[in-house]
Amino acid sequence: MASRKPAPGKGRVSKGSPKSGRTRKRASQGGGGWLLRGLGAAGIAIGFAFGLGLAQWVLEIDRVVVERFEGRRFSVPSRVYSAPLIVYPGTDWQRVDLSGWLLRLGYRQQPEGGQLLPGRYEWLPGRLRVHLRAFDHPLRPELARELEFRLAGGLIDKIEDARTGATVDVVVLEPEPVSAFLGEDREQRDLIKIESVPNHLIGAIFAVEDKRFEQHHGIDLQRVVGALMANLKAGRVAQGASTLTQQLVKNFFLTPERTLSRKLREAAMALIVEARYTKREILQAYLNEIYLGQRGSTQVHGVGEGARLYFGKSVSNLTVAESALIAAIIQSPNRISPHRRPELAQARRNLVIDLMFEQNRISPRHHQAALDEPIRLAAISRESGQSRYFLDALSQQLPDVYDTDVLRTEGLRIYSTLDPRIQRSAARALRSGLERIEAQLPEPADPAAPLQGCLLAMRPQTGEVLALVGGRDYGASQWNRCVHARRQVGSVFKPFVYVAALEPGSGPQVTLADFLDDAPLELETPSSPEPWRPENYDHEFRGPVSVREALERSLNVPAVRLGQRVGIARVASIAQALGVSSPLPLVPSLALGTAEVAPIEIARAYATLANGGRRPTPRMFVDVVEPGGLATENRPLQGSVPVLDPGAAYLAVSLLEGVVDRGTAVRVRAEGMRGPIAGKTGTTDDEFDLWFVGFTPELVAVVWVGFDDPAPVGLPSSRGALPIWTDFMREVVGVRVRGQFLRPSGVEPLEIDPETGALALAGCPRRSEEVFLRGTGPEQTCPAEAVAGQEEKPGFFRRTFGRLLGRRP
Amino acid sequence: MRENPIARERIGGLGLPGVALVRALRWIGLALVIFTYAGCSTMGVPSRSGQSLRVSEAADQGDAARRASMRLVVQGLDADGEYQFRRAQGSYERAIQVDPTNPYAYLALARHHLDGGDSTEAANLIDQAAALFEAEGIRSPRVEVHLMGLRGWEYDRAGRSSEAATLRNRAAAQAPDVWGDGYLRPEELR
Repeated sequence: MASRKPAPGKGRVSKGSPKSGRTRKRASQGGGGWLLRGLGAAGIAIGFAFGLGLAQWVLEIDRVVVERFEGRRFSVPSRVYSAPLIVYPGTDWQRVDLSGWLLRLGYRQQPEGGQLLPGRYEWLPGRLRVHLRAFDHPLRPELARELEFRLAGGLIDKIEDARTGATVDVVVLEPEPVSAFLGEDREQRDLIKIESVPNHLIGAIFAVEDKRFEQHHGIDLQRVVGALMANLKAGRVAQGASTLTQQLVKNFFLTPERTLSRKLREAAMALIVEARYTKREILQAYLNEIYLGQRGSTQVHGVGEGARLYFGKSVSNLTVAESALIAAIIQSPNRISPHRRPELAQARRNLVIDLMFEQNRISPRHHQAALDEPIRLAAISRESGQSRYFLDALSQQLPDVYDTDVLRTEGLRIYSTLDPRIQRSAARALRSGLERIEAQLPEPADPAAPLQGCLLAMRPQTGEVLALVGGRDYGASQWNRCVHARRQVGSVFKPFVYVAALEPGSGPQVTLADFLDDAPLELETPSSPEPWRPENYDHEFRGPVSVREALERSLNVPAVRLGQRVGIARVASIAQALGVSSPLPLVPSLALGTAEVAPIEIARAYATLANGGRRPTPRMFVDVVEPGGLATENRPLQGSVPVLDPGAAYLAVSLLEGVVDRGTAVRVRAEGMRGPIAGKTGTTDDEFDLWFVGFTPELVAVVWVGFDDPAPVGLPSSRGALPIWTDFMREVVGVRVRGQFLRPSGVEPLEIDPETGALALAGCPRRSEEVFLRGTGPEQTCPAEAVAGQEEKPGFFRRTFGRLLGRRP
Repeated sequence: MRENPIARERIGGLGLPGVALVRALRWIGLALVIFTYAGCSTMGVPSRSGQSLRVSEAADQGDAARRASMRLVVQGLDADGEYQFRRAQGSYERAIQVDPTNPYAYLALARHHLDGGDSTEAANLIDQAAALFEAEGIRSPRVEVHLMGLRGWEYDRAGRSSEAATLRNRAAAQAPDVWGDGYLRPEELR
């Protein structure tokens, strides 16, 4: 650069006398002094304004940081858990899907030899050894323990405590996570406290993501310089310099855009966070925030949820190698996914293990052991979309304070009544049943409006909803047909007519030995000038038919006649008492089920019959627990309310057993199901709605099939809804149903002549057993000349020993 | 069934009237035992095994599900006895989950609710237990005394004092050791 000589005058001025200086100063004041002063003032003003703006910016950032950190830091979806699985000697371990339970809860097969650690299991010939993990539960938390299940003939033969050898009578297993109330961002996380995080996980994250975390103040200048050099050398962005604090800030407050202003904001926020909060608080926030991959369409955030996703265990139980893998995938969870790219994941995990060793975070022994440990991932338990219908119904049962926003953000734990095994069977049976029906349709259904269905299973004594599938595909339609769809019920309503007629309060109007007239009938109706002429399904009339046969064959005309005899208002009143809450039109056709009722109401009404006339209240949750572990809402098991004479309920059950044994639902028996089963088919006009409601002493299940916009399905219920029910029940309870429908003391069995309904005495050529409310047996006898009561009176021995033999005299 | 030859020889030595007498005595003895039991059952006389039912007596009866359910009821009573009320409730609910037709589980849960001061829920559970006991044909006086005592307790909680007193007095008269204080402790039902 050429040097410039100073100008003579200027040189003098610079060195010169004060006079000459004053002269110059005056001169400059005269020319540019004001300008300089103006510039100075402007500079001060701009600086002040800038400072003010900067201060405002910093304050704004500070406000955002504080608000987020000290308010609700995370939106944690509330999580729903199933009812626990209970096993005991005699349990069919395959039917209860014990091995599936182990997989879904993230239990891992024990490698050969070695100690059985919590969360591990081992199959041996005729034995299963499991080290159960401890689990928390608001009612019955359980401790970790090692058990041995002895298996024989498909059953659990014996359960022993592996440590003490003591026999264990019954084991309550950990409830399964069912699903979560996700927000629109579909994020899932399991909040953890830093105390529960093992040191080696923290060490692994420090090693690979921010080794000077404990020293820097939010920004690691040493690393920034290093990264800058490396990037300059590479000619591209090859290395990042973000600290954990910066990563947290980026995820917590900022958008993923890459601009200078966002970087500045990130740096400022990182400094503020570091100034305001302790390292421990920052680290805990980071561990709960960090993105770790996908479970289906749901984002998994935080090491708590990450540990469950990849290893099926809580974060506190992670090994060094597992911690290293979690730290390894933070950089790019989808690219380094151990599910999709196991080699890449293992290579990076080993890098992390080496870094941990180099930084003295693990001992040489742990280093080698961790490198030798193979990656064992838990099976991905994809969220079943079918349980979403259950969740929707559950959220409506919760008190109003638990609105959608609370459920999506407050991280509540909700313990439900759902039985995951029964739910899976219900979803499977409904899906395959609908596909089977569609295959029989003359024309393919419109894909935009496919055939729909619903299946709901309830425990009759307690009203606990064990399974609920409200439609074919929750993704395609969230309309919960089990709860909201009011459809014509057809013949599943008929038993309510018979109950009304059998109930002592009505007289009773009929007994099971009576006959009804199946003959043409005309009824005036206010809605039509023409009389109504009900017909049977086959358009035939049979003349007098027994009450039992009329229901078993689901004859319309006798049901209408009986409804008229009892009174439609009385029929409606009985149906409502049993559990139907939809409005019921008081018209003669109500007897044939022209009312529109939701499946859950039908399930409840039949549950009342199965439960001896005691109406249960549907229950879908047991407890709601806050993140701190405090149970805020407890829904204890409630007894059922008596609404019907137990004797009348039993007679109805007996009739409905006949429907399954000989009537329109005989296909249940043809499918091999044995034991106490009762049920009723229902097909509405033009086969728009197909219903089947069936029950055993311990389970009621209702199936509905139809189109959302009513259209003919083209099949009767016995070929549409009933096979779905049978598939479901066979899978859930097996072909041999447990228990029996218990006969109350107010009911007595008597032998009758089935052709006349007369009491069968000695000499009567035909006889069959029928049940009656005590004191309502037939007065007529067969033979007619015999004297009723003479021969049928129990003898001395029968009266004396009947009680001992378990029979009522 | 083959007859014991030695017994046959001995009886044979008695001659025909002796054989008839021995047989008659056997029948009389059997009849006495049966009549005594039947009489006690029908007249409400407490049997030798106690004046009221204990759950552990029935713990080994029934099928596998019932036995497991009964174990859970016993665990619940133990938890109630140790003031672990939530655990007790959990155990009874599990017992009902395993066997929803187990009347003992409803009975114990009703007792649990009454102990906690909740008479509304207890009332339904007592009724449910009674219906299941009746349907199973086991409404013996030993069961009845508990149903009566629990109802009296429930009425007392609900403020129906005179009805409560009647039922509690009757229960106390039948099972003074258990219901004498008008209260059923978990260990007394266990």
